[in-house]
Amino acid sequence: MSVASPDTPLLEMRNISKEYRGVAALKAIDFELRRGEVHAIVGENGAGKSTLVKILSGAVAPTAGEIRLDGEPIQIAGPAFARRYGIAMVYQETSLVPTLTVAQNLYLGDEKFYNRLRGVYIEAQQFLQSLNFPVDPTAPVASLGTAKRQMVEIARAVRLNAKVIIFDEPTATLTPEEKHHLFALIDRLRKDKVSIIFISHALEEALDISDRITVLRDGAHIITADARSFTRETLIRHMVGRSLTDELYGRAADRPRVRPPGEKVLSVQNLSMQNFVRNTSFSIFAGQVTGVFGLVGSGRTETARIIAGVVKRDLFHGGEVRLNGKSVRYRTPRGAVSDGVVYVTEDRKSDGFFETMSVAENIYLGEISSPGSRGIVADAGETDALAVSLRKRLDIKTLNSDASVVELSGGNQQKVVIAKALVQKPKVIIFDEPTRGVDVGAIAEIHHVIGALADEGLAVVVISSYLPEILSLSDRILVSRRGRIVEELSPEEATSEAVMFAAVH
Amino acid sequence: MNPLRRAVDNWFGRGDASITIPPMDGAFRPNDLLDLAQPNLRAPAPDCVASTSRGVVVSSDRSLLRVDKPGGAEVASFETPISALTGLPDGGMAVALTDGGIGFVGGERGGAALAKNPDVACITALAPASDGALFVANGSATNGPAEWKRDLMEKNASGSVWRVDPRTGAFTRLAGNLAYPYGLIEDAGSVVVSESWRSAVIRIFPGASGRKEPALENLPAYPSRLSRADDRSIWLALFAPRSQLLEFVLREDRYRQRMIREIDPNEWVAPCLRSGVTPLEPVQQGGVRQLGVLKPWSPSRSYGLVARLDAAFRPIMSLHSRAQGRRHGVTSCLVADGRLFFAAKGDGIVASAAL
Repeated sequence: MSVASPDTPLLEMRNISKEYRGVAALKAIDFELRRGEVHAIVGENGAGKSTLVKILSGAVAPTAGEIRLDGEPIQIAGPAFARRYGIAMVYQETSLVPTLTVAQNLYLGDEKFYNRLRGVYIEAQQFLQSLNFPVDPTAPVASLGTAKRQMVEIARAVRLNAKVIIFDEPTATLTPEEKHHLFALIDRLRKDKVSIIFISHALEEALDISDRITVLRDGAHIITADARSFTRETLIRHMVGRSLTDELYGRAADRPRVRPPGEKVLSVQNLSMQNFVRNTSFSIFAGQVTGVFGLVGSGRTETARIIAGVVKRDLFHGGEVRLNGKSVRYRTPRGAVSDGVVYVTEDRKSDGFFETMSVAENIYLGEISSPGSRGIVADAGETDALAVSLRKRLDIKTLNSDASVVELSGGNQQKVVIAKALVQKPKVIIFDEPTRGVDVGAIAEIHHVIGALADEGLAVVVISSYLPEILSLSDRILVSRRGRIVEELSPEEATSEAVMFAAVH
Repeated sequence: MNPLRRAVDNWFGRGDASITIPPMDGAFRPNDLLDLAQPNLRAPAPDCVASTSRGVVVSSDRSLLRVDKPGGAEVASFETPISALTGLPDGGMAVALTDGGIGFVGGERGGAALAKNPDVACITALAPASDGALFVANGSATNGPAEWKRDLMEKNASGSVWRVDPRTGAFTRLAGNLAYPYGLIEDAGSVVVSESWRSAVIRIFPGASGRKEPALENLPAYPSRLSRADDRSIWLALFAPRSQLLEFVLREDRYRQRMIREIDPNEWVAPCLRSGVTPLEPVQQGGVRQLGVLKPWSPSRSYGLVARLDAAFRPIMSLHSRAQGRRHGVTSCLVADGRLFFAAKGDGIVASAAL
């Protein structure tokens, strides 16, 4: 085996192509990763970023092209091969086993013949502390929030002494403080000559943390250059060919008209659920977008899930939810859907759709649980017609309605989840992180759909950890902290500082 | 309700037994606008404001005082305390007294008085009808206006609304079984009434059926008088806040009955027009005090609140005097000359805010 020169790129991908049923997801991509560099890959939804890194992690085989590691050609035939070559992937939606503990997940696939659990926990504790991750190694992963699961995922990659670590949207669920820790960790890995591929829709992060940036568009390589040579504007121009910044994140207060409140549709009174939701109260009005901002763990999602019947409030004195003045208590989401309360999940892969089913079938699943449905008796014509009309309305980019949802890009998957919610004829619709893991082009389209729903008179709630999104979309902003709504702001009053202050203090 | 269901709800604290109160958000989002209003008059327990040919007048104990005059020039006085007041279209006033008497000051009927009706002894509000009659709210069949706290703690719903013909003095009962009607306004052939103990505003259709329907429900405070501005918007005064503690006490019958029997009403766990004046009173406004300063969000027993409603009785905005404020217990408000006048009975002040 020849010894690679220090100038040789650690990893090279030459003429990589990938086709799905004749549709090109990647078109002869060239990509190289240097030793100890942080290389960001950015691009619109469907640009091919995920496919590219899935090829590297062994999850997907390329149709054509060559991969070289340290100058030597390699075949990555599966995830185990990738690990052997020192390539680790930190997934956007984590790949941990929820029933195992944090420590067990860290050592999964690396178990010894005899494992002393106490020893594993102590070792895991020391390792997590060295990374400054406040995670209890004995906690089952199922009990952790998304941010902490991501920490475990990162820790696992670091533990495997990977030469290349791929981060796919690592910051989407992290609080500012956690992000700070993550960036410090990435910096440390860079100094240790670990090469990092960083995929993020938050362009500021890509600009801040990376040494070089590669832009992909429609499966093709557009540009690779030093991060310092880009600005946010030029980056977006390369990605989409147009400037979207103002269109996306102009403040609601600057809009010609902030929507006035209509009837009070939902009144949440003294709602409680264990330590997650603590005696919280707020109202939701028809005809406007109510933005709910809060840091991860502030109880926003749990509150929404109680309202929608996904989880139950406390059995004793759990508070009250009033829909149009009537006290309601849903034991399952079906009851909520019947009354017009629909929740669009933050975790689309787990709760949003069946990935092996087609777009049409997934959308029809929404219809099945809607009021007046005929149950599981599906009329093929009706299913298709519904799918066609919603694909058109939401501009879901797919060749036909029979395509599996798993083949769609993140943004289009999210649109399928929204379509599924819309067929349920909602009166109150709660979007939980509607643009997480979605590219800038699809963000604008989803925002447009959300605004249109409010204009139609629906009571729309948008839960988001991304402050510019809340500021741009909301006609009224609620801030959640430690399980309760602590502040209400109008768009005129809502500056980033004011909202963040309320969320933190 | 099914007794078994009631027992289960009581045990779990849900359904009708939920100890919850609606949030003060949206149109009820807290502010300090009542405290920022310009003071017009200090008087003992100013209660009801009315717009008359002599300007804005307020009732204070046995007197009617002009709000626009320094020191409050007395317009008229009575031997019995005044319990309700309204301005009439001819510029005069109708005045109700705590003994159930109704008299007129100024206008066509100035100096006249109506014969008392023994069934109407707790007059809490008056309003002129478009046909020249007078609508009368009788808060309780068993307690006088000064005993409103007892009426709440007894969980009564014995109030009624009446129509009185001033020419004949005939009383016609429009609706009964009301939980302390405290405000009245005529609206599109119906009478809109604020029902304090149900924290709601209801619409009563006069006629044989006496049909009632809700206009605004689930308010975060106890509503009192209603008035209409020139722009057709409605102004509603809310005299005390609801709280989870009070809702809890209202559910605990034995505790409440013993409290009524054994404790001075000023020290009851009950809403009041001004709290924090004596160390003997319960709860001490939640005790949320730092370096001697009461936090505005403290769960106090008194509060100042005025709400503006649109023509469909939907709240549009509100003015507040929060826990640490000095304009608590607002029992009446009206718009005159582009200003909102309100009587903060709890703090003995009449003030006005520019609109």
